[in-house]
Amino acid sequence: MSLPKRILKETERLRNEKDTGIKATIHGDNLRYFDVEINGPEGSPYEGGVFELELFLPEDYPMSPPKVRFLTKIYHPNIDRLGRICLDILKNNWSPALQIRTVLLSIQALLGAPNPDDPLANDVAQKWKEDENAAKATARQWTKEYAKKVSDQKEEA
Amino acid sequence: MTAKVPRNFRLLEELEKGEKGLGADGCSYGLTDSDDVMMSKWNGTILGPPHSVHENRIYSLEIYCGDNYPDSPPQVRFISKINLPGVNGTDGKVDLSKLPRVANWNRDYTMERILVGLREHMAHPSHRKLPQPAEGQTF
Repeated sequence: MSLPKRILKETERLRNEKDTGIKATIHGDNLRYFDVEINGPEGSPYEGGVFELELFLPEDYPMSPPKVRFLTKIYHPNIDRLGRICLDILKNNWSPALQIRTVLLSIQALLGAPNPDDPLANDVAQKWKEDENAAKATARQWTKEYAKKVSDQKEEA
Repeated sequence: MTAKVPRNFRLLEELEKGEKGLGADGCSYGLTDSDDVMMSKWNGTILGPPHSVHENRIYSLEIYCGDNYPDSPPQVRFISKINLPGVNGTDGKVDLSKLPRVANWNRDYTMERILVGLREHMAHPSHRKLPQPAEGQTF
C-alpha cells in the first residue's frame, strides 16, 4: 500500500516532536492510524494529566480532516462521553494546510480554553456556565482519576 | 488499496448512521450504554416484515462487537423469542453463516446489513409462515 508522501513527512516530523506535550505514534500496521497522547496544559484543570486519543487519516486526507477522539474519560464542555470533539477545524474550518501536529496542538489549546457556548456535552457546558469553579473542580478530579500522570509518562520514556 | 478504517472509527460511523433513526428498511440500532467508550455492546430492533407472521411485531436483539470487528463479524442474539432457521432455539444466537447477505463476511459489512439480512430471512417464502411463540416472550 503506498502512502501519500505528505503523510510520511508528517509522521517523520511527529517522531521528532519534543517539548510540546503532544505525541503521536503509529498504531500497529495501519500507517493512517495513530495512538496519541496530549498533556493537559499548564494552568488548566487538566494540568498534570496525560490524555490518550486516537487519530485516523481518512482516504481523502488532507482534503478531509483527520478523525480524532479521546479515549481517556475527560470532563470538558466540548468533548462528549464517547470522546468526540467539537472543534471547528475538525469540521467546517478544516484546511489542507493544517496538519496532524496543528490539530493536536489545537486540541491541547481547547483543553486550556473550553468553549461552553458551543457545547457537545450539554450537561457539562451548563455546569460550566452556572458554576465555573465547581465545573473545574470536577475536571481536576476526573483528570486525577482517569488520566495518566505526567510523572509516569517520564518514567516510561 | 484504500485506507483501512480502524474499528473504533468504523463504529462511530455506524453510530452516527444509526442515530438518524429507523430507516425505511425497518431496522434500527444504537449503543446499549452511551458511556461505553469501547462501543462493544449494541442493541438492534427489527420491525417484523409485512405479509408474514412477523408483521406488526417488534424484535429486539443484542449485538456484541469484539476487538476484531469489523475484520470479524459481531455476535448477534435475539432477545425477543423467534422461531427462525439459523437462530438457536435455546439462547437466540444467530448463525450468520445462514444469512446469504452476510455469510461470507467482509470488513465492509455493517450491523445494519446484518439486521436487514435477518429481516429478509424472516420474510423469505419458506420462513414467513413459520409458527411463532406468543408475542412478548424473551430468550
